Amino acid sequence: MARDPNDQSYARPIRSLLVTVVVLALLALVLVWRIDNPRVERMRAAIIDRVVPNLEWALAPVTGMARMIDDFQSYTRLYEQNEELRRELQQMRAWREAALQLEQENARLLDLNRVRLDPELTFVTGIVMADAGSPFRRSVLINVGARDGILDGWATMDGLGVVGRISGVGDQTSRVLLLTDANSRIPVTIQPSGQQALLMGDNTQAPMLDFIEAPEDISAGDRIVTSGDDGLFPPGLLVGQVVETTDRMLRARLAADMARLNFLRVMRSHPGTTLADPGALIGPPWPPPEGFVQGSGQRRPGVAPITRPEQGGDLSQGGVLR
Amino acid sequence: MSAPRSARHLWGYRALFLALSAGVMISKMLPLSLGATGLPGPDLLLALTLAWLLRQPALVPLGSILVVFLLADFLFQRPPGLWTLLVVLASESLRRRRLTMTEFTFFLEWSAFTGAVFALILLERLVLWLLMVDLAPLGLSLAHAIVTAAIYPIVVAVSKFLFGLRKIGAAQAEA
Repeated sequence: MARDPNDQSYARPIRSLLVTVVVLALLALVLVWRIDNPRVERMRAAIIDRVVPNLEWALAPVTGMARMIDDFQSYTRLYEQNEELRRELQQMRAWREAALQLEQENARLLDLNRVRLDPELTFVTGIVMADAGSPFRRSVLINVGARDGILDGWATMDGLGVVGRISGVGDQTSRVLLLTDANSRIPVTIQPSGQQALLMGDNTQAPMLDFIEAPEDISAGDRIVTSGDDGLFPPGLLVGQVVETTDRMLRARLAADMARLNFLRVMRSHPGTTLADPGALIGPPWPPPEGFVQGSGQRRPGVAPITRPEQGGDLSQGGVLR
Repeated sequence: MSAPRSARHLWGYRALFLALSAGVMISKMLPLSLGATGLPGPDLLLALTLAWLLRQPALVPLGSILVVFLLADFLFQRPPGLWTLLVVLASESLRRRRLTMTEFTFFLEWSAFTGAVFALILLERLVLWLLMVDLAPLGLSLAHAIVTAAIYPIVVAVSKFLFGLRKIGAAQAEA
């Protein structure tokens, strides 16, 4: 009677107690996550940091194999691709000519202007290790982290366009929240009309453009670049092109090849400019306060006082200007 | 299941469950599905767990569920603990319901699973809404639930014919 393993009357209450404790602990974890988000996210980054590099031996061959299969499938369409490439090459020759001319012109103009391009805009390159996403999250993990000086919020590009921004940094890994994620919002400028807009990811391949002042000034094919208004992204990074969908919504076709992310550049951004003080009034100088006696009444404000009387002779030439 | 074989059988299947879960998680983490959008994929982890739970409850103890789903929560950028919490609750309720049933056809099993999936996803949305967290679109969540419910027979078939996981009756589940 005492310790019969088949007797459920002891086990049941203990089990339900255990379940209750577990449920309460998990509930506490959720609440802690909601209240003290940064700390739990750091914990998450630490866990990913621990787990994902261990998986690399498993991830690398499978990824390579799948890419090979992908490439093999493209063999079957070789003839069509060849024709297509020929046509594109013909077009590209024309473009190349135009680009060379523009490059020369650009070099001339830069020389005329003596423009110094932004020296602080350097980058760190990382390799995509894993795509830790659920159906509703679009993000990838790359193999550079706090060890390489990566900070949260930095812009990430592939060779061509913006891919997303860093969101979550572990010691050796960091997570890139892609522009297609439903939580991604970045301010952009649409060229050539120069309008500001917000690029909002909505889990589709082409993020939506919203908060545009005058949509009628924008046509399909306009370039989208980052505006830098958020203080995180450097301005002027290429994002993509405007496309118009059938329901007359404006969306962005991204310049980055989101389907095949391999090498990503993390742009070291500047710390954004912050407005610390309200700024002083710009205007004429105020009159001196009451009771203030100026040394010599005739002296004009802004003219340096003459200190060496023995040089008074050449005052008219250099004294004032010195 | 004879008594001396049962212990090895039990632990073997428990280990197999953990290995399969790890496999599902790794396959989800491979950087292959970046371009795929549209219909959200099924939640294979949930289907696997509940299928094994419904067929042989002893193979999926509370500890396994806790470890697997907490890790998944952390890896897949979900609110940590919430999905685990809901899955634990669902698994306990299914376990208890399993004991009281005498007749347990496949159709009943499938509908129990479908009900659990929809309840889980709606409850998760409710909790996230209460916590004022940004929600995924409702249509996407429902599509996710439907796809997950649809994948269930495949998961069961694979478990049955590949891993030899047979369904046990209510009387054996009790013991």
